[in-house]
Amino acid sequence: MSESTIIDMKQINKGYMLGTEKVPVLKNVDFRVEKGEFVAILGPSGSGKTTLMNIIGCMDVADSGEYYLDEQPIHCMTEKQMGIVRNKEIGFIFQNYQLIPTYDILQNIIMPLVVRGMTTKEAEKRCMPVIEMLGIGHRLGHKPSELSGGQKQRASIARALVGEPALLLADEPTGALDSASGRDVLALFRQLHGLGNTIVMITHDLNVAKAAGRIVHIIDGCLA
Amino acid sequence: MRLSEIGRLVWLNLIQNKFKVFLTSTGIIVGSATIMLVIAIGTGGKLEVAEQFKNLNAGSIDISYEYNGSGFTGGMSGGGMPGGGMPGGGAGSAMPGGGMGGRFSPFDGMGNQMNMTRITLSQEDADNLKESIPEIASATISYTTRQEAEGGSMDESASYTIAGVKENYADISNLEMAIGAFLTKDNDTYKERTCVLGYSVAKEMFDSVLDAYDSPVYIDNRSYVVSGVLMEMGTVASGISPDEAIFIPYETGIKYLTGKDVSPAITVVAEDVNDVESVMEQIVPVLAETYGEKVEFTISDAGSKMEAASKSNETLTLLLMAMAAIVFIVGGIGIMNVLFVSVKERTNEIGILKAIGCDQKDILTEFLLEASCISFVGAVLGVLVSLGITPVIEGFSVRVELSLGGGVLSLLFGVMTGTVFGFYPALKASRLIPVVALNHE
Repeated sequence: MSESTIIDMKQINKGYMLGTEKVPVLKNVDFRVEKGEFVAILGPSGSGKTTLMNIIGCMDVADSGEYYLDEQPIHCMTEKQMGIVRNKEIGFIFQNYQLIPTYDILQNIIMPLVVRGMTTKEAEKRCMPVIEMLGIGHRLGHKPSELSGGQKQRASIARALVGEPALLLADEPTGALDSASGRDVLALFRQLHGLGNTIVMITHDLNVAKAAGRIVHIIDGCLA
Repeated sequence: MRLSEIGRLVWLNLIQNKFKVFLTSTGIIVGSATIMLVIAIGTGGKLEVAEQFKNLNAGSIDISYEYNGSGFTGGMSGGGMPGGGMPGGGAGSAMPGGGMGGRFSPFDGMGNQMNMTRITLSQEDADNLKESIPEIASATISYTTRQEAEGGSMDESASYTIAGVKENYADISNLEMAIGAFLTKDNDTYKERTCVLGYSVAKEMFDSVLDAYDSPVYIDNRSYVVSGVLMEMGTVASGISPDEAIFIPYETGIKYLTGKDVSPAITVVAEDVNDVESVMEQIVPVLAETYGEKVEFTISDAGSKMEAASKSNETLTLLLMAMAAIVFIVGGIGIMNVLFVSVKERTNEIGILKAIGCDQKDILTEFLLEASCISFVGAVLGVLVSLGITPVIEGFSVRVELSLGGGVLSLLFGVMTGTVFGFYPALKASRLIPVVALNHE
């Protein structure tokens, strides 16, 4: 594994119990992503792409295999250590935004920094350049329910970016948006990629996947 | 995450759900108010008992005789006067030590067949007891009746408790003089029409204690000179308060008010409080020598009475405590229930927090702090409610002694209940698996 590799997965297997039977979801997956890459994992429903994303995002663990994120052996980590990795190394962008409905947009955006141990004041100061870049400065005091889908996704992207993570992980980022907003978000991803961010995007839509620099197909738990 | 930031998140959640917080904390409000009031009523009860017994000689023992013959019931007991309408128990209660306790007789089980003979206890009986039982320090005899009396600025006479007492009654009963002197042996020997007024009687008749001294008082239309007025003694354990009584010489009362057919009570005082039981055991055989063994006397000691009153107060306090505990448990379960619902409602939020790196400890702290804050709000409201209710309870003649300690304790109990019952839901929230919580619908 070279220093330029950010994701290095070897022989990853994952299955779920369905009654008494174990159903394999990922089968001997080998997957590498280099720093600065924009990769799309493309596959139909039930192909195992969300499970793969959960393992990449340290929200789930593989049954077997090795996973290194920025040279850190995730497969050997405890839940607490994985929490620290999620906070410092990964920025999540979800299909349905996953903003906390009772917090306003600013509070939602600064949460990764607050979790990291910053005060609200420090975190607000730190996140301002990102907010300006995403053009949502005028919506900071609003609750998520008061924003359009596109604005919510921008807020979600801002939250993913404020912690300056090594990896941006996007799960169907345009899935809940209209086509215009979807195009905006993809343009934003290209812009972020241009700024040197590593992005792994999961989608079932080939047109969306085409925004990435590399497309990896997943079918029945196997990468093609 | 910093504790201050967790606190800020808790604050945000609470202020956005004010009504829910209020409803959740209802159980704690009631529980805290109950604890505060239980402590206040318990303390008030203790003070009340202490005040009622402050003038009581702990070593005193009352002996009275209840005649069960026809035509004489209840009110005659221990001091009823011929033809007088003594309230039941009044006679005994006017004596030092009051009129409580059991009957001592070698013929237990005889029931109403006992005491069919009329007996009048006398000064000789009191002297005999003192001489026969070495542990007795002093003995006195007294009786009470009710008579019309007037004096000073009163427009018309009113009914007062008149106590016929010996000169040593004041010492035995720990009575203190505000002005003048208590009745003397000569007053009794020569059947002088002199009297000592209780504090309230003096104020009622003359408006002031000073004006009462050396003034005439009319009892049953005969004039008596006020030789002294007692200090204010406050409420007593039961029966008649010294404040409300007029004390006259024993023999004077027999001559002018009651006649010979009176049922007085003897009060003896043991040398030592520890001798009370032994003295009580010796009284029966001594009296049996004079009146025979088929006579049943009512013998009661002040210590038992104090103990009974204290025990009754303790029982009441325990009962209220049990009630408060039940209320707290119900309130705690209410908080637990609401927090479980809250965890369920906020599963997705917990998933988001975990996805961005919040660890178990942070989630546990947030939910636990939320439970503590809800219960703290409830406890504070409970204390305020108890302050508001206090005048209402006092309106029912219940003494309520609010204290800072009681307030602090009820706050502590309230917060503790919420925290303890909030722990399990908080733990459950903190243990949610991130990916499961995040995908929770």
